[in-house]
Amino acid sequence: MASNSHTRRAFIHRGLTLVSAAVTVPSFIDSTVWAMADPMDSKRLQQESGADGKILVVVQLSGGNDGLNTVVPFADDTYRRLRPAIGKKAEEVLKLNNYLGLHPNLAPMKSLYDDGMMSIIQGVGYPNPNRSHFRSMDIWHSGIPEKEMVASGWLGRYFDNTCVGQDPHAGVSIGETAPLSMRGEKISPLSFERPENYRYNGQDAEHYKQLNTAAPAASLDPKAAKILTPGSQLEFLTRTAMDAQVSSDKILDLVKNYNTTSEYPRNEFGNGLKTIAAMIRGSLPTRVYYVSLGGFDTHANQMGRHDRLMKELADGVGAFWKDMKEQKNEQRVMMMCFSEFGRRVQQNASQGTDHGAAAPMFLLGPAIAKKAGLIGNHPSLTQLDQGDLMFNIDFRNVYATVLQDWLGTPSKPILGQQFKTMPIITA
Amino acid sequence: MAKLHAQLEPFVPSSTNAFDKVKAAHLLNRAAWGGTTDEIRKVVEMGPRRAVDWLLDFPDGAADEMSQTDMPDLSQIEGYPRSFNERRSLLQGKTAEERMLLQQQMNQANQQAVRAVSTWWVRRMTKSPYPMHEKLTFFWHGHFTTSARDERSAFAMWRQNELLRTHAAGNFGKFVKAISHDPAMLDYLNNQQNRKAQPNENYARELMELFTLGIGNYGENDVKEAARAFTGWAHDGEDFIYRKYDHDEDEKTFLGRRGNFDGNDVIDIILQQKACAPYIASRFWRFFVNEEPDAAIVQSLGDVLRENDYELRPMLRTLFASKAFYDAKNIGSQIKSPVQLVVSTVRTLEITVPEFARLNGALQQMGQVPLMPPNVKGWPGGRQWINTSTLFVRYNTSLWLAGGEMVTSGRPLIDRRNQRQKLQSGVAVKTDAEPAALVDEWVDRLIQRPIAEDKRGILLNAVGSKPDEQSVRGMIKLILSMPEYQLC
Repeated sequence: MASNSHTRRAFIHRGLTLVSAAVTVPSFIDSTVWAMADPMDSKRLQQESGADGKILVVVQLSGGNDGLNTVVPFADDTYRRLRPAIGKKAEEVLKLNNYLGLHPNLAPMKSLYDDGMMSIIQGVGYPNPNRSHFRSMDIWHSGIPEKEMVASGWLGRYFDNTCVGQDPHAGVSIGETAPLSMRGEKISPLSFERPENYRYNGQDAEHYKQLNTAAPAASLDPKAAKILTPGSQLEFLTRTAMDAQVSSDKILDLVKNYNTTSEYPRNEFGNGLKTIAAMIRGSLPTRVYYVSLGGFDTHANQMGRHDRLMKELADGVGAFWKDMKEQKNEQRVMMMCFSEFGRRVQQNASQGTDHGAAAPMFLLGPAIAKKAGLIGNHPSLTQLDQGDLMFNIDFRNVYATVLQDWLGTPSKPILGQQFKTMPIITA
Repeated sequence: MAKLHAQLEPFVPSSTNAFDKVKAAHLLNRAAWGGTTDEIRKVVEMGPRRAVDWLLDFPDGAADEMSQTDMPDLSQIEGYPRSFNERRSLLQGKTAEERMLLQQQMNQANQQAVRAVSTWWVRRMTKSPYPMHEKLTFFWHGHFTTSARDERSAFAMWRQNELLRTHAAGNFGKFVKAISHDPAMLDYLNNQQNRKAQPNENYARELMELFTLGIGNYGENDVKEAARAFTGWAHDGEDFIYRKYDHDEDEKTFLGRRGNFDGNDVIDIILQQKACAPYIASRFWRFFVNEEPDAAIVQSLGDVLRENDYELRPMLRTLFASKAFYDAKNIGSQIKSPVQLVVSTVRTLEITVPEFARLNGALQQMGQVPLMPPNVKGWPGGRQWINTSTLFVRYNTSLWLAGGEMVTSGRPLIDRRNQRQKLQSGVAVKTDAEPAALVDEWVDRLIQRPIAEDKRGILLNAVGSKPDEQSVRGMIKLILSMPEYQLC
């Protein structure tokens, strides 16, 4: 038997010459596969990988991060009064000014802030806040709070609108299932919890690969060609199966052979960010990476737990940016950090906090504009909506800013209406 | 009586177009969860009409009526109350703080209970002597969708599931009325919050848009008026209640009619609409036959439903015995849903799955956990099931079911302690035959349609010239890892 890579290359060339004969080729035959089939072909790699293209890394804090203990209004009397047990003290926070400070465990992010690489957008939310995790997360993901049912997410619609060719790598999500935000109508993201599991587990890999390729022989066999009607279900499945093989080989290879001096924390979040860094280094044509950190639903005894989560977040994010700098890819990357809602201002009887509303978002990267460190005003701690902070900035203003000023695409077709952008990102 | 569309006339086998095992397998795949060799043979002998009657011959009732012991197993869940009354009494006399802790424990236990119900159902799909009953129940779950997300009560979800089973092949009109009284549904679509003083339109809208008429067959004002008719329909824990003082008793104008309507009147008026029966027929067609229904065919199938006063069995008999159903373009053209993939693999390979709960993670990664549809539209289905990630999960899950080891993408299917445990297919694997005969037999059993000659050649290579048990089982796993196996 010929080696697999040989078979694939042969197929690709055969496939291309036979396109007019309506032979099944991988959906992204004219882009990624070229680069992947021959990693030495640097011209194509450059051209197709988007090695110069901009990348968005989304960090989702799941469960409702306590914004008030993340960006702490330590000098506010109301804050101290309503959070006697769980509030952070003036002497422990990492001061941003004489009113606000970052959680003590966010030191790596504080230094990014000091370097002008981080923007804190205060009091972000949306009208009629929903306090259900699922519903509120759906709202952040769809980007359309007004609609109960949206089958696609804002990033998915971005892929649909801009990433032609249905490249399976347009969006890569680290996690068990792809988040709604990344799901488009035409393009769905690739998702896996661990790269080593994004593969075929069977023992007979050789025959599996042959069965999942519209092999050259098939294309010459009139009977087979008849079964693989263009546009048919079988042709669609075969195409996806080929995409899967090629991208699995590529990603496993990239991650296995990745070296960095940056020390990522040894936890799932750290591993996820490191995997993303490996893929960025490997010049995948990916525009959006997605990773989550969970456990923020701190209804009871939140101190220890929230402190640990803050450390996990900041250590991971810090290691990632050190790595980007080392890779010389930092200019290409923007990171966005959000949670589905913040938490109630007043601590509850179990020394925790219940579901709230508005909370801060972070944008990170060298493209953060000067004077964009702190955006908006901190929401009032006394003028509340059902005990919760009222939002000053609609999250869709942030999305519009990222879409237009970073990803360089009109935001209106994606968000359904034109939201004003904010002066956060330098062109 | 309207004239039946020619394509809905019964399929009559002929010498050139026999009711062969491909067609029998097609019937079992679509109306049920696939068939074993024996079942396919039986269906071939019966012919299409008798086979459909046989499949439809099940008692219209809930699982727990048929067998008092066939219920979700909640014994592993600590601290889960069996009823809302029990829940209430647990909370009585507690301080606010104690109540909150209890509530949180119960919410967590409730999530486990939802998974237990889901697991029970998947297991039932693989075991039930009435596979079509479960298939229809599953169809209705995607139609009258309710999701257990948002911490919806597992008990209420189970009760709803039994309601779907009870009416699955009964009378559609009665079914709509029953589901409109269902606590899980009233909760999911916010009729609980639908009061005279402050109407909530969610249920009234979905009732027409998704459950009965389809978009374009009613106006915004009809939604408002129907919502008024449903005011006061609520639930108290697991029971339906009518809140008299929340009900709007004034006159409504709905779809051109005037009266002091309540919810039942609104449903009766909906059932009289021309658009209703064809819409339901089209939903059946999409799920069981083809994602792109022919308008004239579903119109005619809708006539069958309406002329039988919305009794579902006559329509189902027409559909599954029709010429159109056995048209070549409708055979092997459907992408198996994750549930179909798992259940049919278990059934056709006669696999003993010791703990169905282990399949939950795999189903989630494939995008379909029963009781957890993404939204009220149900699962989109078709090509939406397939991307590079889900395809690996589908292949790897099938491999595991066929006796493979270990994990699917992401979370291990088997916990670490039992990582080595393999499943055993109950199907005997014989090896004393020509390699070509073995390949054909298993393609026949699993894909149930001819495959391309070159793919057959690859399988022949894989099984080798002197097949032994290991190589035959290896070939079976390869068949499960083919794009063709994703279709039925």
